[in-house]
Amino acid sequence: MALADVCGLKTNQLKNSFLSDFGGSSTHLLDDALTSTTNFTVPYGIDPVESLKEFTNPKSDVKIHFDHGTTTLAFKFQHGVIVAVDSRATAGPSIESQTVKKVIEINPYLLGTMAGGAADCAYWERVLARQCRIYELRNKERISVAAASKLLANIVYNYKGMGLSMGTMICGWDKRGPGLYYVDSDGERMSNNIYSVGSGSVYAYGVLDSGYRYDLSVEEAIDLGRRSIYHATHRDAYSGGVVNLYHMKESGWEFISQTDVFDLHYQYKAEKEKK
Amino acid sequence: SILEYNGAAIIAMKGRDCVAIASDRRFGIQAQTVSTNFQKIFEMGPRLYIGLPGLATDVQTVHQRLQFRLNLYELRENRRIKPKTFLSMVSNLLYERRFGPYFVEPVIAGLDPKTFEPFIASMDLIGCPMVTDDFVVSGTCSEQMYGMCESVWEPNMDPQELFESISQALLNAVDRDAVSGWGGIVHIIEKDQVTTTELKGRMD
Repeated sequence: MALADVCGLKTNQLKNSFLSDFGGSSTHLLDDALTSTTNFTVPYGIDPVESLKEFTNPKSDVKIHFDHGTTTLAFKFQHGVIVAVDSRATAGPSIESQTVKKVIEINPYLLGTMAGGAADCAYWERVLARQCRIYELRNKERISVAAASKLLANIVYNYKGMGLSMGTMICGWDKRGPGLYYVDSDGERMSNNIYSVGSGSVYAYGVLDSGYRYDLSVEEAIDLGRRSIYHATHRDAYSGGVVNLYHMKESGWEFISQTDVFDLHYQYKAEKEKK
Repeated sequence: SILEYNGAAIIAMKGRDCVAIASDRRFGIQAQTVSTNFQKIFEMGPRLYIGLPGLATDVQTVHQRLQFRLNLYELRENRRIKPKTFLSMVSNLLYERRFGPYFVEPVIAGLDPKTFEPFIASMDLIGCPMVTDDFVVSGTCSEQMYGMCESVWEPNMDPQELFESISQALLNAVDRDAVSGWGGIVHIIEKDQVTTTELKGRMD
């Protein structure tokens, strides 16, 4: 450490750090998460928020554009949580992919959804998976959804202003029953029964709100989730592809189905005509 | 971008003694799809069709103004207009607005009224005409449509083969574009009949 002192090297650049010594992994899960990821290559000696402003300023030539074109939704009901997402990725008007996996399997009893920057969501939810596992090993019990979502929210809060883009829903089942939290890169963390995130969320909410009841059966809930995503893909240009549906139960999550909205459109049309 | 505000896709292809013109059916305002049966191809004569992709308000205005000019032409000349002459008429209409243009990039497809020779052409928004022997494309997914057309077009296709080619080209191109699609419509123009078919496509 003598050379480091002579050079005046600062061991961390992050604000609000609780660390007092360098190199040891802390007993705080949050510190551990932050220090284990300070292997990011950053320009030496400058304030990250200032230097990263160019990537977030809309008038800048180098602004990183995050695509929020997506529809993801999740809702709690008596039999758990239903999570439904679309699968389209766009770059401007061009459709880059119709087969994106927007549900991230954090561990067998926690799911996260992806909206905003795909890399941001995938990376930080994987960091969250690591921290949840460490919690499990230290405490001999599963982490609660509230704690897991708070960990993620606090991790990204440290990077606030640096241009992360993430709008995710953390879903799980713990001692308190089904859990659903909305967490985003602004540091927002909220819990409620129904959430939808993305450009198509307005259309999904319409269908979701009119059909939602806490005492839905599993089949009705699955149908509602699927229908809501379908309607969003039909009206929103930036959502589409297939509907990936998961059901969070007491025993963990179960992947229910992957349905192409092309088939759903003609199926619902036939149902309407039969009536 | 103004030309991407509403979103559209139009293709015209030449076959043996026939032409085909196809378009998507979406009318949207940026991300929101408002209608799935918006007309972008207009009949200007028994064997003459024009496809107008671009800003929806200009699509309708250009069609109306063009119809006006065409009506006067037919009254004065007492005959149906040739496709090549019609091309010049559209070009003139657009260039008149050189410094405040209509945001449409038309595609013309038709058969000569006397000789029934096939004709296809396209134009940019200020009226530069381009006549080709194979296919023309216009719209928000023009790059995707060029790729599809290059793959499926071959010379001297008969009406059935032409229908299959133009339909596949259109549907697969709009499936790679977020702001066009939501169904399709194809007109196959032959000497003695015009066949119009609605395409079953992805509605997302």
